[in-house]
Amino acid sequence: MVFMTYLLLIGLVLGLAAVASNPSPYFAALGLVTVAGMSCGILVGYGGSFLSLILFLIYLGGMLVVFAYSAALASEPYPEGWGSWPVSTLMLVYVLLVVCVSVFFSSGWFEGSWVTVDEFSEFTLFRGDSGGVALMYSSGGGMLMLGGWVLLLTLFVVLELTRGLSRGTLRAV
Amino acid sequence: MTLTHYAFSSSYFMSFLGLIFYRKHLLSALLCLEAMMLILFMSMCLWGLILASTVLSAGPMILLAFSACEASAGLALLVAMSRTHGTDRLKNLSLLRC
Repeated sequence: MVFMTYLLLIGLVLGLAAVASNPSPYFAALGLVTVAGMSCGILVGYGGSFLSLILFLIYLGGMLVVFAYSAALASEPYPEGWGSWPVSTLMLVYVLLVVCVSVFFSSGWFEGSWVTVDEFSEFTLFRGDSGGVALMYSSGGGMLMLGGWVLLLTLFVVLELTRGLSRGTLRAV
Repeated sequence: MTLTHYAFSSSYFMSFLGLIFYRKHLLSALLCLEAMMLILFMSMCLWGLILASTVLSAGPMILLAFSACEASAGLALLVAMSRTHGTDRLKNLSLLRC
């Protein structure tokens, strides 16, 4: 179980090195998808399965799909992956940087709790993350309304930003 | 520093470096920004989960909503740039200035 979480953490760092080495946006979006998948696994390992579901649905299924569609705007005839030397050099530099800096921070490497956050009684099962998110609807209702208002304003911001030269915002690029 | 803390801190700084040293496309810089937001979401989730404090679980949800706003604003800028300059390569912004 701990080994599984370690593997997912290593996959997270490697996937983010693949995103940060700035390849062609196709490969960077693919790297980000795998990073989101790994981080969902890590969240499940810590007991936050509801937050992992939210991450998968909203982040992967909502935002990254939009990024994947926008990657069509960044099309080029020969996309640069790990075959081109700037990308592979940067990737190697980032991985080596992470490994070398980990030497300085390796005290307390294995101290940490991997206990999941829930509570079992006779007839109750309280999942910590679901119960916490429910607070967003009761005491944090103002923040919820504010978040909805900000999302509506973002819609108008997006429509204004893409007004462009000719008429209308909802047109082909 | 535990392994999880180090993994998140190092990956946050790595995607920050990837945002600073962008190369060609605006979209790859936006993807690095999205990676930073993902690491922030994960860190806020794990903060509440490690401390076994359920109150902190509402924070990542709000962060995700605002991160969606930021991503859509960045993508709107990408689309606007692609409409006026034809591509999202950042060198096109400084070529052929009138």
